[in-house]
Amino acid sequence: MSNLCPPPSPAVAKTEIALSGESPLLAATFAYWDNILGPRVRHIWAPKTEQLLLSDGEITFLANHTLNGEILRNAESGAIDVKFFVLSEKGVIIVSLIFDGNWNGDRSTYGLSIILPQTELSFYLPLHRVCVDRLTHIIRKGRIWMHKERQENVQKIVLEGTERMEDQGQSIIPMLTGEVIPVMELLSSMKSHSVPEEIDIADTVLNDDDIGDSCHEGFLLNAISSHLQTCGCSVVVGSSAEKVNKIVRTLCLFLTPAERKCSRLCEAESSFKYESGLFVQGLLKDSTGSFVLPFRQVMYAPYPTTHIDVDVNTVKQMPPCHEHIYNQRRYMRSELTAFWRATSEEDMAQDTIIYTDESFTPDLNIFQDVLHRDTLVKAFLDQVFHLKPGLSLRSTFLAQFLLVLHRKALTLIKYIEDDTQKGKKPFKSLRNLKIDLDLTAEGDLNIIMALAEKIKPGLHSFIFGRPFYTSVQERDVLMTF
Amino acid sequence: MISAPDVVAFTKEEEYEEEPYNEPALPEEYSVPLFPFASQGANPWSKLSGAKFSRDFILISEFSEQVGPQPLLTIPNDTKVFGTFDLNYFSLRIMSVDYQASFVGHPPGSAYPKLNFVEDSKVVLGDSKEGAFAYVHHLTLYDLEARGFVRPFCMAYISADQHKIMQQFQELSAEFSKASECLKTGNRKAFAGELEKKLKDLDYTRTVLHTETEIQKKANDKGFYSSQAIEKANELASVEKSIIEHQDLLKQIRSYPHRKSKGSALCSAETQHAQDQADQVATTSNPDESADADLYTRRPAYTPKLIKAKSTKCFDKKLKTLEELCDTEYFTQTLAQLSHIEHMFRGDLCYLLTSQIDRALLKQQHITNFLFEDFVEVDDRMVEKQESAPPKPSPGRPPSRSLDECPIPQVFVSVGSYKSSVESVPIKMEQELGDEEYKEVEVTELSSFDPQENLDCLDMDMKGSISSGESIEVLGTEKSTSVLSKSDSQASLTVPLSPQVVRSKAVSHRTISEDSIEVLSTCPSEALIPDDFKASYPSAINEEESSYADDSEGAIHFQASISPPELGEAEEGSLENTLSQTDSSCCIGKESDSLRVPLSTPAHTHSDPDGVVSSPPQRYRQKDQGFHVDFAGENASPSRDNSSEGFPAFELDPSRLLASRDVSKTSLDNYSDTTSNMSSIASTSSDRTPSSAHPTGPSSERHKKRAGQNALKFIRQYPFAHPAIYSLLSGRTLVVLGEDEAIVRKLVTALSIFVPNHSRHAKPVKHWVSSPLHITDFQKWKLIGLQRVTSPAGAGTLHTLSRYSRYTSILDLDSKTLRCPLYRGALVPRLADHRTHIKRGSTYYLHVQSVLTQLCSKAFLYTFCHHLHLPAHDRETEELLASRRASFLKLNLGLVNEDMKVVQYLAELLKLHYVQEPPGTGHPTLRFDYVPSFLYKI
Repeated sequence: MSNLCPPPSPAVAKTEIALSGESPLLAATFAYWDNILGPRVRHIWAPKTEQLLLSDGEITFLANHTLNGEILRNAESGAIDVKFFVLSEKGVIIVSLIFDGNWNGDRSTYGLSIILPQTELSFYLPLHRVCVDRLTHIIRKGRIWMHKERQENVQKIVLEGTERMEDQGQSIIPMLTGEVIPVMELLSSMKSHSVPEEIDIADTVLNDDDIGDSCHEGFLLNAISSHLQTCGCSVVVGSSAEKVNKIVRTLCLFLTPAERKCSRLCEAESSFKYESGLFVQGLLKDSTGSFVLPFRQVMYAPYPTTHIDVDVNTVKQMPPCHEHIYNQRRYMRSELTAFWRATSEEDMAQDTIIYTDESFTPDLNIFQDVLHRDTLVKAFLDQVFHLKPGLSLRSTFLAQFLLVLHRKALTLIKYIEDDTQKGKKPFKSLRNLKIDLDLTAEGDLNIIMALAEKIKPGLHSFIFGRPFYTSVQERDVLMTF
Repeated sequence: MISAPDVVAFTKEEEYEEEPYNEPALPEEYSVPLFPFASQGANPWSKLSGAKFSRDFILISEFSEQVGPQPLLTIPNDTKVFGTFDLNYFSLRIMSVDYQASFVGHPPGSAYPKLNFVEDSKVVLGDSKEGAFAYVHHLTLYDLEARGFVRPFCMAYISADQHKIMQQFQELSAEFSKASECLKTGNRKAFAGELEKKLKDLDYTRTVLHTETEIQKKANDKGFYSSQAIEKANELASVEKSIIEHQDLLKQIRSYPHRKSKGSALCSAETQHAQDQADQVATTSNPDESADADLYTRRPAYTPKLIKAKSTKCFDKKLKTLEELCDTEYFTQTLAQLSHIEHMFRGDLCYLLTSQIDRALLKQQHITNFLFEDFVEVDDRMVEKQESAPPKPSPGRPPSRSLDECPIPQVFVSVGSYKSSVESVPIKMEQELGDEEYKEVEVTELSSFDPQENLDCLDMDMKGSISSGESIEVLGTEKSTSVLSKSDSQASLTVPLSPQVVRSKAVSHRTISEDSIEVLSTCPSEALIPDDFKASYPSAINEEESSYADDSEGAIHFQASISPPELGEAEEGSLENTLSQTDSSCCIGKESDSLRVPLSTPAHTHSDPDGVVSSPPQRYRQKDQGFHVDFAGENASPSRDNSSEGFPAFELDPSRLLASRDVSKTSLDNYSDTTSNMSSIASTSSDRTPSSAHPTGPSSERHKKRAGQNALKFIRQYPFAHPAIYSLLSGRTLVVLGEDEAIVRKLVTALSIFVPNHSRHAKPVKHWVSSPLHITDFQKWKLIGLQRVTSPAGAGTLHTLSRYSRYTSILDLDSKTLRCPLYRGALVPRLADHRTHIKRGSTYYLHVQSVLTQLCSKAFLYTFCHHLHLPAHDRETEELLASRRASFLKLNLGLVNEDMKVVQYLAELLKLHYVQEPPGTGHPTLRFDYVPSFLYKI
């Protein structure tokens, strides 16, 4: 990393974060565009390490430059833009989220950035979406906070006559810290426990001599089927790390290498926290034999999730993509609205938002039984165990199965594309699609649709229209075709 | 399961959406849209942002020291592509984020300007209002005239899809790095050339100045220097200094650290050369000499000119263009690379992603992907594979082919057993006429057989097969459909590549003459009918079954010559042990093992609900290698004579041949021997146009689209599309007969998507043939477009066709008829449903691809499912094994009726491909399936 950097600004505050494991993140920064001084760094978060990889001066230099050119910013209202730098000369990669906000009555441009060494590029890229989604949401909240704080401060100044101007805008930092630390922890945990790109089938259930050797046949079928129906997004919980990880690896066989790198194995000793946005993650139950999933984070995952308990062999799944996205958006909007309306800092504390409506009835029943049976996974499981384990036969057979799924998904996308003239017309012939593409089993359709959703986002919402139908209603509607 | 504190109420929609009157609503800019994909007419295909450009393009921009950021060129260079998109503004935006702190000048402690070879930086950014997102690749080029000698440039891939850029970041980065490296290499070359010129100018100037100074010195006899002389001397000193500086720069540019040019395949030769040059410079003290030695300078002689020591002001000069900055050749190469990038990343992200996933998954399927994959793509993959190919195996061990670099399973089913399962007869295809040599690599106890005895048998068979009106084919008329529809009889001719024959003594029932096809079909009387022919008669069914058992005892088994020389003798137990071994020797060992056990001939006895049982009319196992395609042999001559004498005139009428089926069949059967011989001779002796192995050429998207579209038309237009497709899938050659070449070609192209390949190197499709078909054509091609010539000259072609018509399917485009076996499966209707609502050819092609991939998967399972091809215990008979296989196909793979044959045929291809060494190099098996055909009309 270059030493040709200007000296750091003395005003930059820094938070050092102690992480239990190795941190691939060099630093996180929050910078803003000062109308007089240009880009300025407000805060630095850095992991507490013995070896200083990047000096504060270098971090400041880099962070300042994330706002380079942003004086020309031409963004949609409320947009949070992502900039991504790979700076070989500096040996770093920087991810910057640029947004406009009101601070002290002035509208300005801000940048929240994370800096990683360039050597971590291939480690980071599969996790880009997770990081960006999480930082984006915290920025949404922080922006409201910044906006509200000014009003409150002004009120306080008037009422109390106290001088608090120097604190203005600072309070966004604790909020950002509340998400930057988890992101650092996530990256750290992924560094040590991410699922490898290539999985040895010998470490999975598919290496058993016969189906049902290490887990019940019906359970395995349900788990894989539901896992595929929820876009490859699953949470595996259990008391035995070994057992959990075997299922995690098995499920990861059905993912792409990049998706595997966005999946996490279970920690043997203590459990990780649930992380929103990972594809598959193994979580260890506590001593009481339970694991509490954070509702908010489960809702914020980009795809619906399958919940698999390897202790009791249960498989539950969230509603399909369009419903999940719809619920997620409703939740986000309500959370932001609650933030907007909150009157005290306590109200605005993270993760403790309680909507004050008297008629509040939380719908915790987001996980349902797997109702839709499929023929694709069933046939695969029926057949794969006929091949001798220990050779590459099963891997080849699996690759063929995945190829079939991907090709069917692409055919489905193309079919809908043709039928609707690339979305110009509504899609009305789901029945025909099912017959033409041999997807008459509801589970098969769900699996292929889920796969298609990943490569063509928004397909569910487009096909099923306004997502007010519940799954059951949807099925009823489909039956009428 | 869910933690309560996280819960925010959302029970009814209105509770979320309704805002209390007394509180200010959340400004929309702070909120998130409720429908990210379904609002305001947005859909997965619409550009969320409404970009002003029509599709992705590449922009090259420069940060000009005179005018600031400016766009230089776009790829494609078409104003329609970027439309009203403001390139100037976007150039300003992307150039303003350059991070390159390329320091050029006089660094502290350095006497001369230093070139800093900065690495490229890559930035992804966007303009959400304009809906434009870009991958920006920043690079710095050198220009002697430029400020600090540097000219910052950037190449940007601009797209409306931000996800596309991030998801393809590494690929984009790799490709743009190649382009950048090419530009920079050219630039270094040009820069070095520029420096050399400058040095020559300076040298010339120095000489001139020196001369002038000397003149002045001589002219000056006053003992002191005039101001003019001092000025000249200063100028000279300045030139001297400039020379040293430029020499240093030249040295720097030539000693460019080539480790940085990694991955530049485009310019690898040049960089190597440049490296040599750098070395040369390092060892040369005289810069002039080094300049002379520089191959860069092999350009037209340069005439030095007098220059001023001080350079011109930057605003007075015209900056070099990008092409001038780089060598033209490199500039052109870069543009080509950028065009390649534009083409590579063009289109919808979902297709890009799927093709990448496809490629990755296909890499893991070397055993099966030759079957239906586009061989152009497969070849590409093979190249990739070869690049990373492991070293050859050690001597003494057969070269093993890896199954995706992983342990390779044994093939548990021998070639022979597959042949028997599809009732095929191997034919030794040798082109040398009259060569009766039998190559016996290994004559085991079971297979020891006297060639002379065999020949005798052949002679006898030939004698008995002169003519017959009792051919099985006759039974296959419309009148007897009800019976024959259940017949499963077929006689197949298998041609191993170079047969190493393992023959058995038990050739009691049948031997194969030089034209076994006719032997199979022409029996003058029941007395002469071999046992296995009796299956044609309902009363002989049971006998047929018993004959199978006999056959299995005395089978003659062929083994392709590509088999490794060692035939393993592994026992059952040891086989289990060797399973973990992965080389092909294990596989062959297994094969040889299976050769030792009676080769399976699954009893293909269909028991239909109505109780009618049909069995193959012949099930002989004497896959005698003695069958030669050498029709010029002794036995052939009389037949030829017969044919020339007694060929009826009506046979020459092809329409009659096809339309009047009964008559034609009789006549065909009567004269099939002779026609065969004639055609064979004609074929082998004539100069046939070499058939193209790649008739389709590069398989483009357009080609796929057209093929899919025409296939879709075919299945909608022809009610008999299913049996036609079944023929192709089951390895029975389909001849498309027609007068109009264009129409025939079109249909052949369309149907070719259903044809399983025999290897990665060629698709067994011949689009257009006008000469008579030869037996080898059926080995090479599984789909043939044949010209119908109405003139008598073309009769030969049709006669040849009629000669083989019982073993091929014939689709007559002119009369819109199809003659082929019955199909009653469930697979083809899924593949080719005439009621399908698929609208486009490309979509149908995708659908076919996915169904065929499923089929491949089944064939793979069947091929490599070990317990299907090994007896469960010593006493398990071949029949039991066969019935186990049949039940597996039915129950586990869900196959019914003829679908089983499709999977069996594909499994056979997989097996053959697997045992070939190297894979896919040999010719496939030639099979003639002898099953009753039916005539379909529209």
